[in-house]
Amino acid sequence: MKSLRRDFSSSPQSANVSSKVFVRSTKSGKVQKIVRELYLRQDIPCSSKLCSICYSHAPVDADGVGKDAKNTLVVNNADLQSVVPFILSDRPAGTKAFPGGHYIVPDTNAFLNGMDLFEQPGAFRDVIVLQTVLEELKNQSLPLYNRLLALIKTDENRFYLFFNEFRLETHVRRRPEETINDRNDRAIRTVAKWYREHLHQASRNGKMEKAIPAIVIITDDKENIRKAREENVPALSLLDYVAGLEDSDKLLDMINESKEGKGQRGELFYPEYYSMSKILTGVRAGTLHQGTFNISPYNYLEGSVSVSAFDKPLLVLGRNNGNRAISGDIVVVEVLPKDQWKSPSSKIVDEEAVTRNENPEVEDHEAVVTEREQKALQEEVKKAHGKNAEGKPHPTATVVGIVKRNWRQYVGHVDPASTSSLTKTGRRQQTVFVLPMDKKIPKIRITTRRAADLLGQRILITVDAWERDSRYPAGHVVRSLGEFESKGAEIEALLLEYNVQYKPFPKVVLDCLPSEGHNWAVPANKQDPGWKDRRDLRDRLICSIDPPGCQDIDDALHARPLPNGNFEVGVHIADVSHFVRPGNAMDTEASMRGTTVYLVDKRIDMLPPLLGTDLCSLKPHVERYAFSTIWEITPNAEIISADFTKSVILSREAFSYEQAQLRIDDSTKTDDLTQSMRTLLHLSKVLHQKRMDAGALNLASPEIKIETESELSDPLMDVKTKALLATNSLVEEFMLLANITVASKVYDSFPQTTLLRRHASPPPQNFEGLSTQLQKKRDLKLDVSSSKSLADSLDRCTDPKNPFFNTLIRILATRCMTSAEYFCAGAHAEPEFRHYGLASPIYTHFTSPIRRYADLVVHRQLAAAIGFSTADGLSRRSKLEDICKNLNYRHRNAQFAGRASIEYYVGQALKARGERLAKHDGDGNFGVDEEGYVMRVFENGIVVFVPRFGIEGIVRLEDFMLPGDTVRPTTDARKELALRRDSDFDAEEYTLRVWENGHPEPESSAMFELFERVRVNVSSVKEESVRAVGKRRVRIIVLGKA
Amino acid sequence: MPLDTSTTYPLTRLRLDGRRWNELRLLQAQISTNSASSGSSYLSMGNTAIMCTVHGPAEGRRGEAGNAAGAVVEVDVNIAGFAGVDRKRKAGGNDRQSSQLSNSLRSTFQSHLHTYLYPHSTISIQVSILSADGSLLAAAINACTLALVDAGIPMPGLLCGCSAGMSGSASTPQDSKNDSLDPLLDFSLPEEQELPFLTVGTATPIAGGQDGMVDDVDDMKISVLHMERTAHSSYIETMLAVGIDGCKQIREILEGVIKGSNKIIFPSRDDL
Repeated sequence: MKSLRRDFSSSPQSANVSSKVFVRSTKSGKVQKIVRELYLRQDIPCSSKLCSICYSHAPVDADGVGKDAKNTLVVNNADLQSVVPFILSDRPAGTKAFPGGHYIVPDTNAFLNGMDLFEQPGAFRDVIVLQTVLEELKNQSLPLYNRLLALIKTDENRFYLFFNEFRLETHVRRRPEETINDRNDRAIRTVAKWYREHLHQASRNGKMEKAIPAIVIITDDKENIRKAREENVPALSLLDYVAGLEDSDKLLDMINESKEGKGQRGELFYPEYYSMSKILTGVRAGTLHQGTFNISPYNYLEGSVSVSAFDKPLLVLGRNNGNRAISGDIVVVEVLPKDQWKSPSSKIVDEEAVTRNENPEVEDHEAVVTEREQKALQEEVKKAHGKNAEGKPHPTATVVGIVKRNWRQYVGHVDPASTSSLTKTGRRQQTVFVLPMDKKIPKIRITTRRAADLLGQRILITVDAWERDSRYPAGHVVRSLGEFESKGAEIEALLLEYNVQYKPFPKVVLDCLPSEGHNWAVPANKQDPGWKDRRDLRDRLICSIDPPGCQDIDDALHARPLPNGNFEVGVHIADVSHFVRPGNAMDTEASMRGTTVYLVDKRIDMLPPLLGTDLCSLKPHVERYAFSTIWEITPNAEIISADFTKSVILSREAFSYEQAQLRIDDSTKTDDLTQSMRTLLHLSKVLHQKRMDAGALNLASPEIKIETESELSDPLMDVKTKALLATNSLVEEFMLLANITVASKVYDSFPQTTLLRRHASPPPQNFEGLSTQLQKKRDLKLDVSSSKSLADSLDRCTDPKNPFFNTLIRILATRCMTSAEYFCAGAHAEPEFRHYGLASPIYTHFTSPIRRYADLVVHRQLAAAIGFSTADGLSRRSKLEDICKNLNYRHRNAQFAGRASIEYYVGQALKARGERLAKHDGDGNFGVDEEGYVMRVFENGIVVFVPRFGIEGIVRLEDFMLPGDTVRPTTDARKELALRRDSDFDAEEYTLRVWENGHPEPESSAMFELFERVRVNVSSVKEESVRAVGKRRVRIIVLGKA
Repeated sequence: MPLDTSTTYPLTRLRLDGRRWNELRLLQAQISTNSASSGSSYLSMGNTAIMCTVHGPAEGRRGEAGNAAGAVVEVDVNIAGFAGVDRKRKAGGNDRQSSQLSNSLRSTFQSHLHTYLYPHSTISIQVSILSADGSLLAAAINACTLALVDAGIPMPGLLCGCSAGMSGSASTPQDSKNDSLDPLLDFSLPEEQELPFLTVGTATPIAGGQDGMVDDVDDMKISVLHMERTAHSSYIETMLAVGIDGCKQIREILEGVIKGSNKIIFPSRDDL
């Protein structure tokens, strides 16, 4: 027999074949040995502009061949056009240690500990990222790997990805007995040495007398630094390196806190997590439960986890049970024995107030639960056991493991009380607390040398770790956003907090726009490919109705009588899918942004403004591409037929709601356009009634509107509740109709992959609380068996003396419901498609493609369904499901961001008013007296909703005006008042009685109950604190009953 | 998690095993490795290793009528239990992958060989995959071609297979202006698992006469085209062009192998 062994001697190429062998274990615990080939080569460039050698054999991509000549395939090496440009500068920046300039070769741990540093613009330039490091980083942390990739792709920082494992000279074979870590470290040193020699050689060849940059290894591995020094390669730890840079104070703060190596462990505060295998078996066996950890907005010590096994959420009480979970994490919990079950808290507990005086530096003597926290908790327990009223005790649980941390970057500010006064001017490193803006996130301990600078600033921080020996999570500063209350910083903080992409559109996205720019027009010649399969609807009397000042006009309407007495009604939607092609950079960007975000004075667009406000926008008097839905409708609003087509339209007029209303009401106008609007209005009323009869809900959420740019008038006068005109509902009805019609059309064609929107029926237990409250307080019944019965019973919830009562109940009912969501048709069974709030069996979003990505997807699907285009790229269900997930997330965040921005403006308006009044009247309490409604009653306060401003706020005991008081409580007296007040809370009757210590007589105490109307004073105050800077909040004082 | 081609290739123009877009893996082959058979070969493309033996043309088994029009080609593919990363206990079973391979190979060679010369007979090809690291069909075609040449079965030309794909998911139409995707030649297993690719097999008829082999592009024909995973149709042409070029390179190597072995069988005067 012949030997079949691989013969390496025969081919010259084979000398360069190496192999990489590694072992990995799979999820199921199997161990696999993997062998990969490696082809070592010498044409991988060093990418330094100093180098003259590498340029001649730099890699060429397939385009170097020439697209049209691919059949002949002759590689043309001289075609330098397709050579990847060299990245590393020929004059790299120097530091004190390396005056001649240097290139940086970071080790993996440098990226793990200081990714924020590398992302800092201008801090690190000319970085050589090694393949070895990239691969190791990917194994250790996928998010960091993605961030590094993004860095490599941007040009300005000059990061070069060097595939050292494939270059013959820098390839390192693992030695026997050598650990993989040592091998990787050796690989890094080898690269540094090679680069140095290579650049020497290159400069000798080039005869240029330029200084050759030093190659500096950055690693936090002491052993590696030592070996590098032995081999005469410059190496520094990340700390030492950064210390040598300008601006080092700022940069040093960004180094990851957790990895600095604290030495010996202190006392361990928290129990250890269960092992992964124990968690997995437990979850499978049903003894442990997995869910998302949420902190109550009213009580930072009370968390809850919703799991499928229990219909009520599991309560996680106290820090100890929370065991280092942060709101949003996916955790595994163990249910506590029944005798420890409790009812949810009826007390407002604020972290800031309870733990105000803790010292961030000293850790030795503190327990996890401080005495004060313990006291707060114990009172709870007593109460829960004391009575067994309507609230049966909830199951409680303790966190035993974390499946996934959902940490993000948080916006917050340094707690002024935690900085030491000595270091106000000094640069000494100190540990301080940061209070995140989000109340659900615990304080974060950071180490900084710039505590004095950071005071009074909004800062962005990252959580690095939460060790067992630390009461609070440790983090580091990413950057400062600017002064408190400066508009820029606050708005940016808000956008960051809700993860809204607000950076300007990158060039690749703008490159996707039509080259004609604003001069783009519908081609005049009907033979143009743009007209293919488009219907000419320019003769229809189309108009648009939108809020005043609307620039991105998504939709327009028309109606005209047909000879048979019916009407032709058309809804025309901007044809965004004509401009945004699937898969290009603009499409990717839009799908990531998901939606346009509307703030009070700012709009963060999903699409570049050229499209959103011009080319797509259905502006009047210009021809535009549209996607039209045309129905034949009887005068009784019965739909005879529906037709979908791409079209060209010419809008006759762009009305605001008010203008449209005036035009309709003006009986002297009898032109065709006005007539068609009257027809539309009539039909919309019939449609609305039909929908209501079917059980659509009329829900309410506090919506107010702020008009800016009025210097003279009182800003508060500009806070308006949104007015509703009949024309609002006209547009809304037809949009709903269009959405529903399109949904069923697309679903017929793509039963698995249609993008739909649904609103799940809320489980009846969600309404339990509200319905008992109504029963007790007003003797009203809430029937939640169907949306129809709920709508009817909501209609009955009225109080003749209190006209706002109905709206209040609707707001509360809305909060009990699940939120609507996008989904992919294959993900649910057909009966689950139902949109509960609209009482429609199927629903989607079609009518606002300029500002919502979902609509754009539906446009593409509908175009495919009517045979206008092919269904390319729409057929993958998994991809669509990812899109839906992202859209739901973005959609929710956009809503939150919008609300937060309104809240901020109301605060600013109140502040401006307070300041103006202060000028006139001197000291005192300045606010606006308004009506408010009690939304919730706690043991030590109430939550009041003020409809005028659409805000709700907690009112603590010290903020009540008692019958005896003549002066309104001032901010300064609060602390003292808080100690003197006493209260009595009746959980069954939802009442709270407040009195002064020692005067519990009914005449000198004030009593408040749920749903009651109260008079309040709303003002914006600075939170009192020892140092000057504090955070502003809206303060509500209850003056008495209204 | 190891790196993946679709993210790192655009940055470095290097594939995960250090190759450029148009490079084949190391291809080595021998023929006449098993003297007990009519023809045999051993071929490795990278870490994919295949052994192939041919028996016949021989009389069909008794009881079977046989095909009067020509020989019947039978292909049996056996993927060794140790060929992949996971060792399979039950080796040689009729799993989906091997039956798919054998069907493709059978129909390929049934139409490629001059079977009309051997009516009522059977040509049976036995393919053993010793190690699987991507491009299995292409490697199997090449191994079979060598073994059939060794067995002396007439064919119009060498049938060579090669795989080619794109360096990204290629699910949307090709954009000729800013095309970020490159075609890649000769896929390895990790690339196959990540990216769309196709396998193409081409045959060039050997011109008779004194010149011997004349490589005439016009006469080249595609005998096999097998698409794996979905890619947008606008990319097919690119992939095909690169694949056909790969086939040409492979043909040269295979010719070298065949001629090299001839030397040993018929030693030239210089060697004596």
